[in-house]
Amino acid sequence: MTTRQPNALPATNEDTSGPYFPIAFADPALEDLTCVHPGVVGEASGTRIILRGRVLDRHGDLANGALLEFWQTNAKGIYRTPATEGDPAIDPWFHGYGRQRTATGAYEFRTIMPGAAPGRAPNITITVFSDGINRIVTQMFFADADGNDTDPVLKAAGADAPRLLARHDGRTAKGEEVYVFDIVMAGPDETPFFDDLES
Amino acid sequence: MTKQGRILGIGPTDNTSDQRTPRQPLRLIPEGVRDSFVPVVPATYRTGPHEWDLTRTAPGRPRAQGTAIEVTGTLRSESGRPVSHALIEIWNANTHGRYRHVEDHSGLQLDENFYGMGRVLTDAAGRYRFWTISPGAYLARPDIGRWRPKHIHLSVSGGSARLITQMYFPDEPNNASDPMAILMGDAFARNIGTPRDVNGADVDEAYDFDIVVGGRNATYFE
Ligand SMILES: [Fe+2]
Repeated sequence: MTTRQPNALPATNEDTSGPYFPIAFADPALEDLTCVHPGVVGEASGTRIILRGRVLDRHGDLANGALLEFWQTNAKGIYRTPATEGDPAIDPWFHGYGRQRTATGAYEFRTIMPGAAPGRAPNITITVFSDGINRIVTQMFFADADGNDTDPVLKAAGADAPRLLARHDGRTAKGEEVYVFDIVMAGPDETPFFDDLES
Repeated sequence: MTKQGRILGIGPTDNTSDQRTPRQPLRLIPEGVRDSFVPVVPATYRTGPHEWDLTRTAPGRPRAQGTAIEVTGTLRSESGRPVSHALIEIWNANTHGRYRHVEDHSGLQLDENFYGMGRVLTDAAGRYRFWTISPGAYLARPDIGRWRPKHIHLSVSGGSARLITQMYFPDEPNNASDPMAILMGDAFARNIGTPRDVNGADVDEAYDFDIVVGGRNATYFE
C-alpha cells in the first residue's frame, strides 16, 4: 500500500464523462465476463449470474448514459492483480473487470458469482461515471450470502447496509442465477458510496 | 488525515449534477479492504493504427473542418512514475460543437470528415500524442445562456490507474462559468492545455497536456 508523499505531483482533476461517452468504444469482452471473448473457446469457472438493475437519479428517474465499471474476484475469491499473477488459484479465463455504458440507465451484466476473499463476503465493486458527476464507487453484496454479517464494508454502511444488497430473483432457463441491484445516485434511498481517494 | 468522507459538490447551473450527485457524505473505506476497491484493467484493449489522427476519418481522406491541433503529454502517477502502455480514449465535439453521437440532439452541424473519437496508447515512457480538431463550444443551458467551454474528453485506463477527465483551452470566455471548473477552483488550471510551437507538424496549433492520475487508483500496485 502506498502513502502519499509530500512531494507528490498534483493530480489532474477528475471531470465528468458528460453524456456522450462513445458507444463505439464498447468492448464485448468487458460486457460479459463469463466468456473471454465472443467466439473464443474459454469460459470462466463458477456459477453464472446475471446482475441487472437501474441507475436512478434523486427523482427516481433513470440516469441515462451512465458508464458502469465492475470489479470482482474469481470464483475462488482471488482478485487478478499484479500481486496475484502466478497464483495457482487464478482463473486464466477471468480478469474480473467489466465495463458497459447504459443508454437508458437500465443495465444487465453477465458474470460469475465472485468467491469470498479472506475476511470478506462475496461482492462486486461498482463504479459509476456519468454526466453531472465524476466517479462514484460502491460495493454490492448478495443477500443471504455467508459472511455478510461480518463484512467490514457492510459494517461501515451501518443502518444503510441493506441498500448494498442485491436481491436474488430466480434462475433463467439456461441456469443463470439472477440478481437485482438498483443504484440510487441521490435522494432518500441513496446508495452508500465510498470515498475512493486517500483520506 | 480526515476521519469524515468528502461531501461531493454540485455543479452550479448543472441540472444533471443536481439530479445525480450523492447528498450523503462518502463513507470511508475501512482500512484493510482498500485494495478491493481498486480495479485492475486488463491490458487487452486495442486501438487501430490511425486512431491517433482524429482530423481525418481514415488516411487519405480530407481533413475535417476547423483548426487542426496536436495534443501531447506524459501520463504519470502522483509519485512521478510514467504510466506506460495505458489506454487513452479521446472524444470531442467538432468545430461546430456537435458530437457524432446518436444521443446528441443539438441539431448543430455535423462534419462528414470528423468522427471525433479515437484511442491511443502511452509508450514505454508514458508519452502520448494525438491530433484532433479544436472543438467548438456548445450551449449547454439555452434557457440561461450558459455554454460549455471548448474541451476534449479523455479516459485513461492502465492497470490500476483510472481517470476520466477533460482538457480545456486557455483564456476561453466560458471557462469561468463552467460548473465543473467552478467545483475544481484554482486546481482548474491543471486541466488546461499549454500552447506550444507545432514544431513542423501538419497542424495549426499544438498543446502539451501532462496527466497525473491521483487518488488511490494511481499507484496502488506500484
Ligand atoms: Fe463534452
